[in-house]
Formats: sequence, structure tokens, C-alpha cells
Amino acid sequence: MSFARNLARSVFALATVVSLGVCAIAQEKKPAAKMSGEAGATAFQVPVEYYKLPNGLRVVLSQDHTAPTVCVAVYYRIGFRIEPKDRTGFAHLFEHMMFQGSQNLGKMEFIKLVQQNGGTLNGSTRFDFTNYFEILPSNKLETALWAEADRMNGLAVTEENLKNQQGVVGNEVKVNVLNRPYGAFPWLQMPQYANTNWYNAHNFYGDLKDIEAATIPDVQSFFKTFYAPNNAALAIVGDFETAQAKQWIEKYFAGIKASQLPPAPDLSEPKQEKEKRVKETDALAKRPAIAIAYHMPERNTPEYYAMGLISQILVEGDDSLLYQELVQKRGVTAGVNGGINYLGNMFNYKGPMLWMMDLRYDNATNPDTIVQAVDGAMEPLRTRPVDKATLDRAMVKLRSSLYDSIGQFSGFGLADLLASFALFDDDPARVNSLVGQFEKVTPELIQKTAQEYLRPENRTVLIREPKAAEAPAAAPAPKQ
Amino acid sequence: MKYTTSTKTLLAIGMTLMLAVFTNAQKQAPPQGTAPKPFTVPAHENYSLPNGTKVTLVPYGNLPKVTVSAVVSAGNLNEPAELTGLADLMGTLMKEGTKTRSSKQIAEESANMGGSLDVNVGPDESDVGTDVLSEFAPKAIALVADVTRNPLFPESELARIKNDMIRQVTIQRSVPQSIALERFRKLLYGQHPYGTVFATEDSINKSTLADIKKYYETNFGAQRTHLYVAGRFNTAAVKKAISASFGTWAKGPAPAPDVPQVKPNHTLDLTDRPGAAQSTLYVGLPVPNATSEDNVLLTVTNALLGGSFGSRITSNIREQKGYTYSPSSQISRRYHDSYWVEIADVTTAHTGDSLKEIFGEIDRLQKEAPPEAELKGIQNFLSGNFILQNSSRQALIGQLRFVNLQGLGDSWLSTYVQKVNAVTPKDVQRIATEYIKPEQMTIVVVGDKAKISDQLAPYMTGNSQTH
Repeated sequence: MSFARNLARSVFALATVVSLGVCAIAQEKKPAAKMSGEAGATAFQVPVEYYKLPNGLRVVLSQDHTAPTVCVAVYYRIGFRIEPKDRTGFAHLFEHMMFQGSQNLGKMEFIKLVQQNGGTLNGSTRFDFTNYFEILPSNKLETALWAEADRMNGLAVTEENLKNQQGVVGNEVKVNVLNRPYGAFPWLQMPQYANTNWYNAHNFYGDLKDIEAATIPDVQSFFKTFYAPNNAALAIVGDFETAQAKQWIEKYFAGIKASQLPPAPDLSEPKQEKEKRVKETDALAKRPAIAIAYHMPERNTPEYYAMGLISQILVEGDDSLLYQELVQKRGVTAGVNGGINYLGNMFNYKGPMLWMMDLRYDNATNPDTIVQAVDGAMEPLRTRPVDKATLDRAMVKLRSSLYDSIGQFSGFGLADLLASFALFDDDPARVNSLVGQFEKVTPELIQKTAQEYLRPENRTVLIREPKAAEAPAAAPAPKQ
Repeated sequence: MKYTTSTKTLLAIGMTLMLAVFTNAQKQAPPQGTAPKPFTVPAHENYSLPNGTKVTLVPYGNLPKVTVSAVVSAGNLNEPAELTGLADLMGTLMKEGTKTRSSKQIAEESANMGGSLDVNVGPDESDVGTDVLSEFAPKAIALVADVTRNPLFPESELARIKNDMIRQVTIQRSVPQSIALERFRKLLYGQHPYGTVFATEDSINKSTLADIKKYYETNFGAQRTHLYVAGRFNTAAVKKAISASFGTWAKGPAPAPDVPQVKPNHTLDLTDRPGAAQSTLYVGLPVPNATSEDNVLLTVTNALLGGSFGSRITSNIREQKGYTYSPSSQISRRYHDSYWVEIADVTTAHTGDSLKEIFGEIDRLQKEAPPEAELKGIQNFLSGNFILQNSSRQALIGQLRFVNLQGLGDSWLSTYVQKVNAVTPKDVQRIATEYIKPEQMTIVVVGDKAKISDQLAPYMTGNSQTH
């Protein structure tokens, strides 16, 4: 018997073009690292080599010879936030089109090329990037680089392929949102309520009618605007030789032309001054659910790192304040989900973000008591500096989870961090200084950050209530 | 948004240029890559303690982390028939304290090591484990041993845990994929414990603390336990901790397997969800289990038929027809028991079409052996993915658990790739013909009856049911 305890986290990526249901694929792999003995965990470093091609492509290499595999990841700095206003869901639909044919590879040929060479692949669309990656036996690195360069060079999609993928995406939205209880809760819905700037607050999966209205010129326009080397990062992690990899990168990517990128839109969110409360009804759900989201401090500020530790203290693990209060003490729920960026982690975004928690509870429970309990559990963080034991524990948990991110999925986890840091910060080596940034956080900064950001006025409370049983199945209902 | 208008003109030009390039240029062939590097499954050390506890140590990787997992041959399989979910209740209650640690102490101690203490209950096995920073490996072993050996089962927490579990099963039963799985298992296994996926409110309420303690006493002990440690760790310190914490445990009960005698149950079973936006399909039948000579052949056949993105069924109903987003077939394995199943959530209007295409692809594979090149692609895919399946702490433990549960022996992993690559097109055709028989399949559909009944009419059997 199995219970999905982290439903919100399991709807991780908006897109996942390719689902390889069968293989119990690796979750972890280790980068070639310098580690001064088993006790010297803080000294853990990964090798990072970073450079740019003349056309602007950012390249990050990180060798690791633990297993004969290599992960190739291409990140384009175009997330769903900045898709065309009359084409909601387009960034994601477009991601599907990147598998539908390029200059030298027809429909299905990219996927078959990777699989027939023993690899696995996927793509996904997130707030601030769209990514494509494959993990292959390491002797196939050149094959993967050639194929990624081929589709960066140009798409050759047809009306028929577009129609087909509109059907696939329509079914994706149905299976992930419309035909399930708690569909879109809270990962897709909350940003729409908590944010006010359209870029952050529109439906990222898209209205089905917008998805159906997309045309081939839309696809080509989007490609030409955003899918250029000067808007991309290429990360390679795993078992390769640097000089050889660089030679192939030069051979396949250097000839791709840079594009004139449009000016970046203003993504900023105004400061929230009043708590928002929203109720939705759900014809498929049998029990209510609640999510509470707070606007985050700006990325890479001292307060941002403090929020990373606050998240560990509040909601990560059975020792966390919210688990102890809501699960152990009050019996409101069996588990509390929570964290920074439900469509990724606290590192792989660039722009306004929410810290969020959510849980399911019983019909007899008044949601106000849950909100009060959450406030009560947070209160010590706001009223006094956190004690050393709690902060030390948060730091250990954070370090452990950072290593898990780095080790995730045969090099992909590290490639994700390196590509994100290359695109957003022009500094992928910061992967090695993150622990130090968190270690600078003081109990006083934790308190100040909690006071400033964990305020009721800075939050949105979203409640999803079951609808009467006789209603037809159609979730979720519109906003109130 | 600005770029849409400003780039649309550019686009027209761009497209023309690109089309010109594409039609004039010869298509390039992808580079083949270099010679493959040899891969061997990372070495591990097996030994047993005098009390029967089995131990497997797998030094692996560079990250300063280690996974500790005590796997016990006790699962839902061992529950009394009227108390389904009892093992899950027990598993959750195990975290609520030991004779020397409160639940909060367990939580804080594991967090201090960078992990959390987890208890999982499955059909055949349960596991108690944690994943921590390397320097804490010996302490993590002691904590895992304490929770495994000395649960307190406090009565004070039982009502809360029962209520949580009732909420969870209620939610599960509102998810269409869960409903389909539950129907499929019931039709295949009937009264056998594998036939029940979720507990009922009644069985949860009926379970008492005495039942939970009795389940634990009957099913937990040294000779049912296999401890896995994988990652970076100091071997001497880890061995010492294992002897100190698991070595003094009583031998306990012998394993109590119960292999179901399964027969195909050819039927169409429809659960009505009025207004459903899709139909959820589970289509499958029992196949030879993991110990069969044909096991690897089944794996290869499944990957070619529906179990990979480039497979025939997926190419057909997703990439050609657009009926579905994430179709896939799998061989689902329990202890000496397996079934093949195709799972897909399909457009309501194409429910019948989807079944037609699924059965059509099976039929095609039965009638004609696959081309060499297609099979070679699948063999490469499985060979490459085998490396990924053995390249992380959790994945290695998963592989070794599978081999040990099924009793396949150490050579299974070292000969797997060789066996995969020895499969011929004729073998695949034979496996499809012998085992993947549409006329014996259980077809479960969860969807909008009013809209799909007519589409399903061709697949109705004498014993079809609608709920």
C-alpha cells in the first residue's frame, strides 16, 4: 500500500515531455569531488569550468568519473513567466515542439537517438527557464552535443506535429489538473492569487483555447526570439575529457548565430500590504486542503539565505515546527508540504518567488484554527533569536539537502544548478560557496527576516473545499 | 507583449530561409560516439550476523552521504484478511517512539544527522531507513536499529494515526488512477492480499493496538531483516555499529511468503465517473514471474511494445494520435508474482480508439517479428539504462533488494546486459504471442460511462461489470 505523502512536490515539473515509466532510474550520482576525509564534509567541492563561446553560449563543465555516464543539459532563459500575453501556456507547448523535428532529425528521431544510444531524456518548463537534458553512456557525449546543437540551430516542425502536440498537451493538462482531485493545487493556482504582475500571475499551463490557437508562425517566432546561444547555457556533468568536450562544443555550437534578445520585462511585484484569502471548490476532492504562501526576500540577499534556513526550521522534516504543531500535537494532517519554489528548488529561479506550505485536512476542522496554529508555530522565530541547537540543525539539514540536489539523477541535479547559476548569475562556481553563504546567517537575521516576511499582510491563504457530491466532475472551479 | 509583434515579420523571412536550407541540405547522420567503456555493477560486501540478520555494504560515490535501510520481510501480505492496512498503521506508529526515545527525539536525532527517519510498508517488505551525512553512519545505524527493534507503539497516538490514514485512503480513492489500480488488482487477485490496494475505513477502525503489536511480534525479527548501507562510510566503524545494534536481536520468526495462484481474468470493468475529462485505462494480465527463464525476454518485449518513450504503443497513441500524454506499459513485480499492464489516461472521445490501437500493436508484434534495428535500439536503451539503475545509493539498494527478494543470485546483475543483448526478434515475437494475450486481458476503465459505453461495446465480455 502506498500513500502519496508529497503530492504537491510530485507535480514537480510543468512539462515532462518524456515519461520513462519503466526504469527505476538512478536518483543520485556523485560528482568527482575533493573531500578531505569523511569528517570534512564542509570542504566538499565540485569541479567547475566556465567559459563563453563568441556567440554568447555559456558553457559549464564538471567532471565526475564515478560512473561511465554523462549528462548534457541545455537551458534556455525563457520561462513561462514571459510567454506572449495572448498565448498563455505557449512556453510549455513550445517545449514539446523541441522534440518534434530539427534540421537533421525528424519527429521522434531525437528521442529515439537518445534511447537507442542507451540514454534517457526529458525537458521541462519552469518560471525562468526551459530545459532539455539527456543522460547517456559517456561514450555518446558527441552524439548528444550534435543533437542539441541541431535543434538549437533551427526547428522543422509541421502543422501536423503541432496539432498532435496540442492534443498531447491538452491531455497533459487534463491528467495533471482537470481530471484529478486537487488539480493545480497549490502549485499552479497560488502564484495566480499571490502575485499581481501579469508575468508572475497568469496561468502557466495555459487556457486550453490559447493552446489550441497556437500556430506554426507562433512557434517559429518564439524560437527565433528566445532559442539562441546568447540566451542559453550548456552544462555537461559526468565522465568526459575536458579538451575533447571543448572541441566538440566548438565544432557543433560555435556556428550558431546569436540573436537580438528583446529587453527583459519588469517582473517585479509590489510589496503586499494586506493578507489575501481565496476559496476554491473542487468537485473531485473529498477533503479540504489549505496552502499559505509568503513573498520571498529577493534572491541572493542575506535575507534570502535566512529564508532558506527558516524553511528548514519550519517545514523540512519531522522535527520541523509545523510538523510538530500540525501533525504531532494537533492531528490536523498526516504531513505538511512546504518550501521555496514548488516548481524546482530555492536556487533555480530568477525573479519574485513564494515560500509556501500546504496540507490536507478534515471537513470538521475550521481552517482558521490551522492558520492560527501556523502563526503560533512561527511566533518564536519572530519574537526572539533562534537557539543555537535549532540553527545548527537547520544548517545540517540544508547541507544534506544541497548534496542531494547536487547528486540527483546521475548528474542532472548538478547540471541544473550549474546551468541556472550560469544563466542567472553568470557564476556557476557559486555552487561551491553556497554553504558559506548560509553559514553567515545569524539568529538575529533569522528573527529580522521572519518579522519582515512571515507577516500575515505578506501572505495569501488558499483553501480548496470539496464541492457537494452530486456536482459533475470538473475541477478546479473559478476564483471567488 | 512586444516581441510577438516585432518578431512576426522577422519570422516570415526566417522561416523561408530555414525551409530553403532544410530542403537543399543533405541530412547529416549523427556522430556515432566513441567506443563504449566497460561497466560493472559497483562491488558490494554481503555477510550475515549469527542471529540471521543479513548485511550488504555498498561503498559508492563521492558525495559525503550514506543511506541506511533495514528491509524486513513483512508487508501487507502478512496482514489478517479482515485488517487490511494493519501493516501501514504499524509502520506509522513505529515512528512514534521507542523504549528509550520519544517521537520528537527520533525526529531531532535524524535531523541532526541531515536526514529523516522513514518507515515504508509495501506488499512484500517494509523498510526503516534514513539518508544522512557520511560522518554519522554509525549513529544512523543505531537509530534505525532502535526503531526497528524497540518500537513502543504508544496507545496515545493511535487515534490520530487512524484518522490520518482514513483521510489518506479517502483521498486516494478519489484519484482516478488509484481507482483503476484498485479495480485491476481486485479482478486479478481476488481475496489474496495483493487484491487489496487501500485499506477501508472499517478495517482501519477495527484494528487495535493489540493487533498492531501482534503483527509486529509475528513478522519482525533478525532472520527477516536485511540491512543495506550504501554511499561513503567508514567500513570498520559501520560493521562495529551493525554488530552492536542488530547483533543482539532475537532470531525471530521465519519469513512467511504467500505466492498467489493467479489466472487470467478476461473481463471489462467500467467505473463510472460522470463528467470525467479523460478515461483511465489499465489493461493487462499475469505473466511469468522474475524467476522465469523468460524474465529478461519479457523486459525487452515490454520496452519495445509500450515500456519506453520510443515504444510502439507510445509512438502510436501519443505521438501519432495525440490521444494521451503519458501512456506506458510495465511489468509489475511482487514476490514470485508478476503482471504486464498498459496504463494510460486517454481523451474521452478516443477511449475505444485507444484500446483498438493498444490491441492492434500487440497483434502486430505477434504476427511479425520486429526489425533487427528496432530491437537493437531497445537493447541499447536497456543496456544504457542499466548503468543508471546502478549509479546511485538508492538505486543500488533498489537493485540489490530486488535480486534478494526474488532470490535471483548475485550473477543476475552481472549477466543482465548480456542476456538483454542475446534476445532475437523471433524471441520477442514468441514472448508477445505466448504471454501478452489480448483475449485473456483484464480491461479496467474509469471514465464517463454515458460517453464511453458505446465505444467500449466491442470489448465487452460475458462477465463485464459497471460500477
